[in-house]
Amino acid sequence: MGVGYVGRRLLSAVFVLWLAASLAFFALKLTPGDPAEALLAASGATPEEVAERRAQLGLDDPLWLQYVRYLTDLARGDLGQSWLHGRPVGRMVLEQLGPTVELAVAATGVGMALGIGLGTLAAVRRRTWVDTAATAVAVVGLSTPTYWSGLLAILFFSLHLRWFPATGEGGLRHLVLPAAVLGFALAGSIARLVRARVAEVLGSPFVLAARARGLPGRHVLFVHVLKAAAGPALAVTALQFGFLLGGAVVTETVFARRGLGRLAVEAILWRDLPVVRGVVLVGALAYVGVNLLADLLHAWLDPRLREGAS
Amino acid sequence: MIEWAAPPRRPLLRQPAALAGLTWLALVILAALLGPSLAPGGPMEADPTRSLLPPGPGGLLGTDLLGRDLLVRLLWGARWTLEMGVLGLATAVGLGLPVGLAAGSLGGRTDAILMRLMDGLLAFPGLLLAMAMVAVLGTGLTPVAVAVGLAAVPPYARVARSVTREVRAQPYVEAARAIGATRLRIALRHILPNAAPSLIAFAATQLGWVLLNGAALNFLGLGVPPGTPEWGAMLAEGRAYLRDAPWVSTFPGLALTLTVLAANLVGDGLQEALGV
Amino acid sequence: MRRVLLLGIIVFLLLAGCAPRPGGRIVYGLTLAPSGIDPHVNASSELGIPLTSVYDTLVYQDPETGEFVPGLAERWEVSDDGTVYTFYLKKGVKFHDGTPFNAEAVRFNLDRITSPDLASQKARFMLGPYERTEVVDEYTVRIVLSEPFAPLLDSLSQVYLAMASPTAVEKWGDEYQLHQVGTGPFVFVEYVPGDHLLLRRNPDYSWGPPVYQHKTAQLDEVEFRFFTDPATRSPALETGEADVMGEIPPQDVARLEASPDFRVEAVALPGASLMMFMNTGRAPLDDIRVRQALLYGTDRAAIVSTIFKDTSPVAYGPLTAVTFGYDPTVQQYYPHDPERAAALLDEAGWVDTDGDGIRDRDGEPLVLDMVLMSWGYMPEIGQLLAAQWADLGVGVESRVVSYPEALEIAGNGGHHLIPFTLSGSDPDILRKFFHSQAFFNWSKVEDAELDGWLEEGARVSDKDQRVELYSQVQHRVMEEALVVPIRDYVNLNGVSERVQGLRFDGRGWFPWLIDVTLAER
Repeated sequence: MGVGYVGRRLLSAVFVLWLAASLAFFALKLTPGDPAEALLAASGATPEEVAERRAQLGLDDPLWLQYVRYLTDLARGDLGQSWLHGRPVGRMVLEQLGPTVELAVAATGVGMALGIGLGTLAAVRRRTWVDTAATAVAVVGLSTPTYWSGLLAILFFSLHLRWFPATGEGGLRHLVLPAAVLGFALAGSIARLVRARVAEVLGSPFVLAARARGLPGRHVLFVHVLKAAAGPALAVTALQFGFLLGGAVVTETVFARRGLGRLAVEAILWRDLPVVRGVVLVGALAYVGVNLLADLLHAWLDPRLREGAS
Repeated sequence: MIEWAAPPRRPLLRQPAALAGLTWLALVILAALLGPSLAPGGPMEADPTRSLLPPGPGGLLGTDLLGRDLLVRLLWGARWTLEMGVLGLATAVGLGLPVGLAAGSLGGRTDAILMRLMDGLLAFPGLLLAMAMVAVLGTGLTPVAVAVGLAAVPPYARVARSVTREVRAQPYVEAARAIGATRLRIALRHILPNAAPSLIAFAATQLGWVLLNGAALNFLGLGVPPGTPEWGAMLAEGRAYLRDAPWVSTFPGLALTLTVLAANLVGDGLQEALGV
Repeated sequence: MRRVLLLGIIVFLLLAGCAPRPGGRIVYGLTLAPSGIDPHVNASSELGIPLTSVYDTLVYQDPETGEFVPGLAERWEVSDDGTVYTFYLKKGVKFHDGTPFNAEAVRFNLDRITSPDLASQKARFMLGPYERTEVVDEYTVRIVLSEPFAPLLDSLSQVYLAMASPTAVEKWGDEYQLHQVGTGPFVFVEYVPGDHLLLRRNPDYSWGPPVYQHKTAQLDEVEFRFFTDPATRSPALETGEADVMGEIPPQDVARLEASPDFRVEAVALPGASLMMFMNTGRAPLDDIRVRQALLYGTDRAAIVSTIFKDTSPVAYGPLTAVTFGYDPTVQQYYPHDPERAAALLDEAGWVDTDGDGIRDRDGEPLVLDMVLMSWGYMPEIGQLLAAQWADLGVGVESRVVSYPEALEIAGNGGHHLIPFTLSGSDPDILRKFFHSQAFFNWSKVEDAELDGWLEEGARVSDKDQRVELYSQVQHRVMEEALVVPIRDYVNLNGVSERVQGLRFDGRGWFPWLIDVTLAER
């Protein structure tokens, strides 16, 4: 994997960014509603004043011109000012990045640990009550919306037991509930996938050979089987981590935490194009970065997949 | 202890867990078909004088804020919930599977382009995608289901690709190529059947994802029309009264969880029946 | 003598133990992470809650009498034609950064607000037909309008037109909102967007308006946190994470009131009531009989008791009952009378010919398109209305859209029904809804006489005249059945019993934190 590989990945990163940014632009243009009107209508502005603001925001220019300006500003790194807040977008996005990454890392950690644990347990004890129970636990996580489980967690662990604070940021204690709730939701899909893959691999000739060589069961399990199961698990995890970096808006809302998710939702609801562009930029970069990491990890774990191998 | 050997394959109907799942799903489908006739009057019959009654004489499962009977709404809601889930899943798999399969088995430039397309979709806020979809397709349950399904396409495609690549690297696939089988034939006859178990497993988890994200859209203030007895929407509505009237969201929540669990168990069973 | 002294000491000690004492800090829960908090730029009411105590305004409004009292301006004169306001400013007032407040500062502020570069979303439009500000001398400033504008003093009493330090504004540029400097009883310490906002007591404050009960702030610190999810507001109050929480959901009120540690302070807000606009330009609502039938068929008391648990009064007209200019005689209109409603619909030719429960006429079913937004309990209200009107044989199809989309749909008249509300202390707010050229003219009314009353109401300063004019407006709105009024907005604040002295200004939204104290038990 040399410079060529890195070069190619960079190129594809730029392509992805362009694609995501363009999609965002056109999607926002497609959604009905005029940003200038939304900002000013309730304040008693006259239609002329709203038209003035529209022109000021560049919304009267032809669509292709707006698109070109949108892209060139992005390319120059000029993220502009939020139409709604009036503040520089770059700074706004950076402010929300920290808490978002914090929650994403914590939730992914919980999700992976729980998911791989449950999935492996279910697979090695296939067809027993352990399998069904582990599956059921994983599925509950999958099928319960975080706005519900989050509220339940707050009512029970914060209000009733007083173990953790209900809302806000400020350290590990504030992170426990939201990370657990979000992680539990993520664990479900990881668990199911891991179960499927581990079950497959357990019976494969490759594992049989390892055991015939006299290696202890545990060793084979952890070193060989899990490695093989790592692929899809990593893919799903990378995916979800990428999602989370876009912000887990529901969890952020319920636990009153800052995050890119809330920023993005607000920007979309108010048609605040500069902020949407900023969030997409961060999201795309994070996503590309995380997936690059995951692919590298996967290739390292499973040499069969290295680029160039036929 | 660790179950190394693959236990003998059982057909679907001989597996207790999958059977239980099938039974529940059959019940849900039955409710969707028969519900309206079992509970005439409709899910929108509001009677504010009977607001938030607990399960009991007021109603078998209680009433919600507007005095609507919860059991009636659950029965009617089966149809909407199934529609949401199936439509969303069909969209996700229908678009995601071919893309992932093609990318994984064809490799090279096709792979790169397709995956970058998927990345582009993924790196951009799902809510915006859903809103744009609703703008194009209109409001109602179908557009919301399709929008959520579309948001699920990239993950599905990515996983499909990942699984496909691994299967493709297997010796028997190499052998098939060596004897000159066309790529399409390889894809359909060798890769797909072997990738099926993991793909089915993932599809089963996507059902829950689709239902949940449809409900999350409601939470954010968009989604199905207010009052629609779709279970996810009912869960969101009842949340505000969780401390005073927990039955309003617990029953739909339970129904939703059981349905997703059932789908997963059936998916597992299929996986086993089709064999590794 | 000694016994009296001893008794006196004991009494004093007892009282001191229970009396509110200065100092301490509270956590105040806001309900939205405000979208930008520069009062000259941004429009949310949320920003006003903390910032009203960071700044002073030229005048203040007494919430009891509605009179305008001196703030940063000791006195003022209005020219006979109502276009020139001369303000004589208090001397010795200092901004938190030490710079002096004077006429030059006033001019700087108003120039900033009206400059196109700032892109103000609200403050600018509150000034109406503003032309310019003139500095007469160091402590005298003149505001010149192109036409008389009765709501000007009301505007100048709000935080959006508060006086900021010119030095600070110039220093911080487009990040001023993170470093705000005013003259108020609290100093702006820091704002971490989305997380918290911190205020600290201003020890040098001594120029407060007569409506303030204390000379300087009693608390040491106030921290504001944001709780966007209504379901978590009461839990946060109950766990002590907040001492004051705004907009408690109605269903939590009973529980909080029953607890000895909390109370609920309900503040009725002036402004427009929450009303369902009926599009008179689109059939079948172009027929006044149909509109009136909808009004008679609405049981507002049921809505208020089911959804709002009777924490709000029922609305009978377009203004809330506590608004200046409210005419109580609107309460006579449209009592709940389903029979009359049915008769009206029959008369209009809408009968259920095919027995499906929905009336029809010439093969067209009577189905109305209701556009809702997700806040303010609109979805619940919409559903209950739909159920009530279903009994009448009227069908409703509803959908929830975002605010910009609602603006677009309603602006184009693509709806039958759409609810909305805005708060404000001047009855001129009616002009935003019922003037034929107004943005929120969602009833699509074109009534020249109504336009005339609304325009004149904005011009004349005589109170009695204005009351008369707005009374006519309210009656016309209800006679023409332009809206279905639902309820008056009431801000439900959950307050911990250790917090005393919480008072709100005339708008009902903005607390005067200077008077808040903590009671130790």
